[in-house]
Amino acid sequence: MTVAVSRALLALASRSLGSDRRTWAMAMEAEFEAAVEDRRPFLFALGCLFAAWREIGKHSEGRLIVATYALALGVLIPMAAMQFRQAVGFLSSVDGPPFGNPSASDGPNLYLIWSQNSAIPVLLITWLLLGMAHLFLAWMLVEGDWPRIVKCGTLIGAAMITLSLFMGVLMLDLSSLRAQVAELAIEFVAVVSISRWHARVLADASRDLLAR
Amino acid sequence: MGRNRRPSKQMLILLEALAAHTQQWRHGYDLMKETGLLSGTLYPLLIRMTDQGLVEAEWREPEHPGRPARHAYRLTNAGVAFARTATSAGPMTFTKAAFA
Repeated sequence: MTVAVSRALLALASRSLGSDRRTWAMAMEAEFEAAVEDRRPFLFALGCLFAAWREIGKHSEGRLIVATYALALGVLIPMAAMQFRQAVGFLSSVDGPPFGNPSASDGPNLYLIWSQNSAIPVLLITWLLLGMAHLFLAWMLVEGDWPRIVKCGTLIGAAMITLSLFMGVLMLDLSSLRAQVAELAIEFVAVVSISRWHARVLADASRDLLAR
Repeated sequence: MGRNRRPSKQMLILLEALAAHTQQWRHGYDLMKETGLLSGTLYPLLIRMTDQGLVEAEWREPEHPGRPARHAYRLTNAGVAFARTATSAGPMTFTKAAFA
């Protein structure tokens, strides 16, 4: 059990060191057997993880990993939580007064209220889809799966446009959407910056590999 | 102008251990046991000293068949010179000239 946990810690350390320090990761892995024989694999692996984390800010790939995790945990996951909250808020507002703007003289517009109520499932699904897409985007970003990140970004954009159109046509309150569009723009700029950074790190790594 | 460097206590211990047998290749775990340094201290030191050209590293064939090749370390000529200065003087200020 201890050996398995230690191996997992060592694998995490190895991954944190990145390709710049691949040789050092292999060196630590090679010494692991000696630590197992000495019955101190956990302490050894924990130390290696600590060493890897000390090195993480010193190389470009490490800094990219930190930035990616910061974007995923600090922006994308809170955005997903906000989408789910919006969906729940939207659902609870269904029980409240009708959405339709009452006309000054004729009272509530029954046709508009009926249209809004009919659109509730679609709008709800779209909010939830936005939340799920943000969670998936965070996951893919950490994994570095760029083709899926592009697909996910397209899905978020399409869902946002659909929501804006539907809510506009149904004369629903768009104020919550306006704030979200601004946040999505910030999110988009952050993801594009990370992708450029990733491409630069990859190009540097390829150049180093060719030079060897 | 040279940048002042003060070797830490841990670095001095490692230098002393490596300088004891300058021609001998030493494995990471053996160095840990000899110096009492933990892997979280030893490896950052080895990485830094290798980057500075004080230590050279090489993959060595395993002593027992079926085991992976192990990374081994020894001081370079610059490392030996630096170790002599550092271990005789104790923790003090060094300049880049010591690395030359």
